[in-house]
Amino acid sequence: MYNYVGKSLPRQDGYDKVTGAGVFTHDVRLPDMLHAKVLRSPHAHARILSIDTSEALALEGVRAVVTWENSPRVLFNASDAHTGTMPPNKPVLDQYVFDNVVRYVGDEVAAVAALTPGLAEKACGLIKVEYEVLPAVFDPLEAMEEGAPDVHKTELKNTPVPPFQIAIGNFQEAYESSEYKVDVSMKVPVQKHAQLETNAAVADYRDGRLTVYSTTQSVHPTKQILALIMGMPESKVRVLNPPYVGGAFGVRCGLSAKAEPIAAILSRMANKPVRCVYDREEDFIASDSRHSGYLQAKLGADKDGVFQALEIRGVLNKGAYTSFGVEVVGVMCAMSLAIYRVPNVACHGRTVYTNVQAGGAMRGFGNPQGTAVVEMAVDAMAKKLNMDPKEIRLKNILEAGDPWCLPFMNSSTALAECIEKAAERIKWSEKRNAFKAGKIRRGVGLAVGNHVSNAWPFCVDFDSVYLRLEADGSLQLATGVPDIGQGSGTTLMQVAAEALGSEFETVAITFSDTETTPFDVGSHASRTLYAVGICILEAAKDLKRQVLEYTAAMWGARAEDLTLERGVIRGAGGETPLRELCREAHLLSKEFIAVGRTTPPNAPSWHAHAAEVEVDTETGMVRVVKYVAAHDCGTAVNPQIVEGQIEGGVAMGIGYALREEIVRDEEGVPYNNGYHKYMLATAGDMPEIEAIIVECSDGSGPFGAKGVGESAMVPSAPAILAAVEDAVGVRYGEMPLTPERVLNGLR
Amino acid sequence: MIKRIRFHLNGEKKEIEADVSLSLLDVLRDVLGMTGTKHGCGKGECGACTVIVNGKAVNSCLFPIMKAEGAEVLTVEGLQKGGELHPIQQAFIDKGAVQCGYCTPGMLLSAKALLDENPSPTRLEVKAAIGGNICRCTGYVKIEEAILSAAELIKEGR
Ligand code: FES
Ligand code: FES
Repeated sequence: MYNYVGKSLPRQDGYDKVTGAGVFTHDVRLPDMLHAKVLRSPHAHARILSIDTSEALALEGVRAVVTWENSPRVLFNASDAHTGTMPPNKPVLDQYVFDNVVRYVGDEVAAVAALTPGLAEKACGLIKVEYEVLPAVFDPLEAMEEGAPDVHKTELKNTPVPPFQIAIGNFQEAYESSEYKVDVSMKVPVQKHAQLETNAAVADYRDGRLTVYSTTQSVHPTKQILALIMGMPESKVRVLNPPYVGGAFGVRCGLSAKAEPIAAILSRMANKPVRCVYDREEDFIASDSRHSGYLQAKLGADKDGVFQALEIRGVLNKGAYTSFGVEVVGVMCAMSLAIYRVPNVACHGRTVYTNVQAGGAMRGFGNPQGTAVVEMAVDAMAKKLNMDPKEIRLKNILEAGDPWCLPFMNSSTALAECIEKAAERIKWSEKRNAFKAGKIRRGVGLAVGNHVSNAWPFCVDFDSVYLRLEADGSLQLATGVPDIGQGSGTTLMQVAAEALGSEFETVAITFSDTETTPFDVGSHASRTLYAVGICILEAAKDLKRQVLEYTAAMWGARAEDLTLERGVIRGAGGETPLRELCREAHLLSKEFIAVGRTTPPNAPSWHAHAAEVEVDTETGMVRVVKYVAAHDCGTAVNPQIVEGQIEGGVAMGIGYALREEIVRDEEGVPYNNGYHKYMLATAGDMPEIEAIIVECSDGSGPFGAKGVGESAMVPSAPAILAAVEDAVGVRYGEMPLTPERVLNGLR
Repeated sequence: MIKRIRFHLNGEKKEIEADVSLSLLDVLRDVLGMTGTKHGCGKGECGACTVIVNGKAVNSCLFPIMKAEGAEVLTVEGLQKGGELHPIQQAFIDKGAVQCGYCTPGMLLSAKALLDENPSPTRLEVKAAIGGNICRCTGYVKIEEAILSAAELIKEGR
């Protein structure tokens, strides 16, 4: 039994957030601060022939105007991939802060800093730009064709990185000789993070030093990118969250849609702090999205439904710039190949440039796309064999220790239990294949999957943390990892208190500030608790050793006979509160301080989702009636926080399946540029969601914990599509399931 | 055009000079420096800016400051009484209804307006009351639970 791990302790940031006292980047106000506004391209692809900023500069109150002509000509990658791409792959550096070619509607053309936001906006309107409109391409399949416009010059047509491939066994042979074969395809939409706080930064450059308050979810990599762009030593660039971030979901793994360099450059030009806050429309059209694209899965099985061969092929829409490139297709292919025991697997994933906003990281990171098509194939196979979709899954899922395509161990799984629990709670045996008639039809569906607990082996992934005992025995924890709302600040404090043996009430945390914390790659890949937690364990072990050895020396005892728990040292007949020991040590000039440094391994987090839907066959409306999400997240360090992650992920997954999509006209202008047009769900649209935690502790994680942040998003779309199929007999191959698509399928 | 405007903010008299084109949200955040009320869209689509004006929850981003003349305005900063959290605030913490916290101030005020008018709402009434408040983090589950539990706390006089 643990003292703090496994308990739903209240969040450490709760007070700040319910009183309005918590500071977000949008709230940062510096003395004498200027306001920035960005001028964006109205064209999907154009060359800038000339820019005249004289009228804008002449406007009273304007302090600086920046364009491609007077900004750093430094190529970079706006995401963590800039410094986190795993060798031998190289990061794709394909953009400048401003360029003389614009590549999508919304691309940055110029920016103004002025005394008020209104003046900055007015000045943007006074900038005269002459464009030569170039041919544009929006669909990745078209962009691959000979003769399509080149978004960037690349060796393989519009393809920034070589396609990602895996081949184990002999897929082709095994597939052809399989008794049963299915071949399915899907088209997946552009989904948007739609986090509540838009991308923003407040930069203060003075005397060769730069401080940037930012909405980023990775302060250290953002510091590295900024230092490169600004031509400054990394040590002189401070990036921090102030400390709260209004959601992220992947949209700012790295720069916050370039708000940081724009504010920084303007600050250096104007010699004043500059606030650059995007409005909601800019956030929708000019920050990264989930990759849309085309997917295909081929699955072969023997007559008993045992899988023999599986192949996934995908072409994802990269958009105009590479943030994460090979990493997203890598996760898409590798994770969805790592659900079932299949001796012969293959994949081929390609990302292709087009003239739309960049595809980047978004909760699930390629896995929702891959899992959607694999689960579609599994359902198709079950149908072909006349097997229960639940039974075919139980028959084929990986067990712990089974070999797979990933370079880390399949160390633990409770997927079978997740499937059973989800099925039971949705009343699978009673409802699946129940008789349907009439206008409104109900159905149930099931989907399963697996996700990571950190970014390795897809990206560089490591951290360091400091742990330090104050002279009164209270504990300071410093980590560079942002808390973007998931609650990692709280769970990491729980891990620290448990690992050292401190009283939780005496633990404090500093996070996401490059000046006060050691390196951390960021808050992404469901990694914060797992990876940073492992690092904390290491630091705590060292700190505890220091404390116990010191006590042992004082007592003339052996360190191994002493324990430290809840702030009290005991053993060898003695007992002393940590408080007193630290006070005495302080007077003898001794501080207890430790650094944890780790390159974490990885661990699979498993999930099974079951959905019940209602389809109105006259209007085409699909409504989720009930939703069950069972997750093997290892040890739930804070069960309430875990449930929150699952519920939020399910809501996003339901949106992916049923509502959310950005569509564009023939000129590449996005239609869905705000919450209403994007149809983001409100409370009334949500079904009853039941989150089930199936604890299956993993040896590698802190106290057995694994990732969970992204995984609730991963299997939700296929679970809903399967339920719709059960209701109306059609397996839809295109999301979201708008009423129009549903009715078309029923015809 | 600059005008003088008088209103009550969180129980205190305020007299300010502000451009008549500003919204109540602009005045709160940029004139008075009270950044607890959030800006999520500026178009009445997200509810992050929700405050209570004369007992009704409104989107302060769409509320012209001139209409606040003489009004009673309550923002998130005014929920706490004498250092004690309001039961709705406490319930949001206890039930895990806070994640990133950006929607929280608006949610709290929508909830307060509901419970002031209807002390025993059903779950559907809660959903309707926060129907204009977007939350991208929680799926609304724990927010609804927090509001229902706050209703109980208030009835028990806590
Ligand atoms: S900021 Fe007022 S509704 Fe979004
Ligand atoms: S808690 Fe993040 S938007 Fe609601």
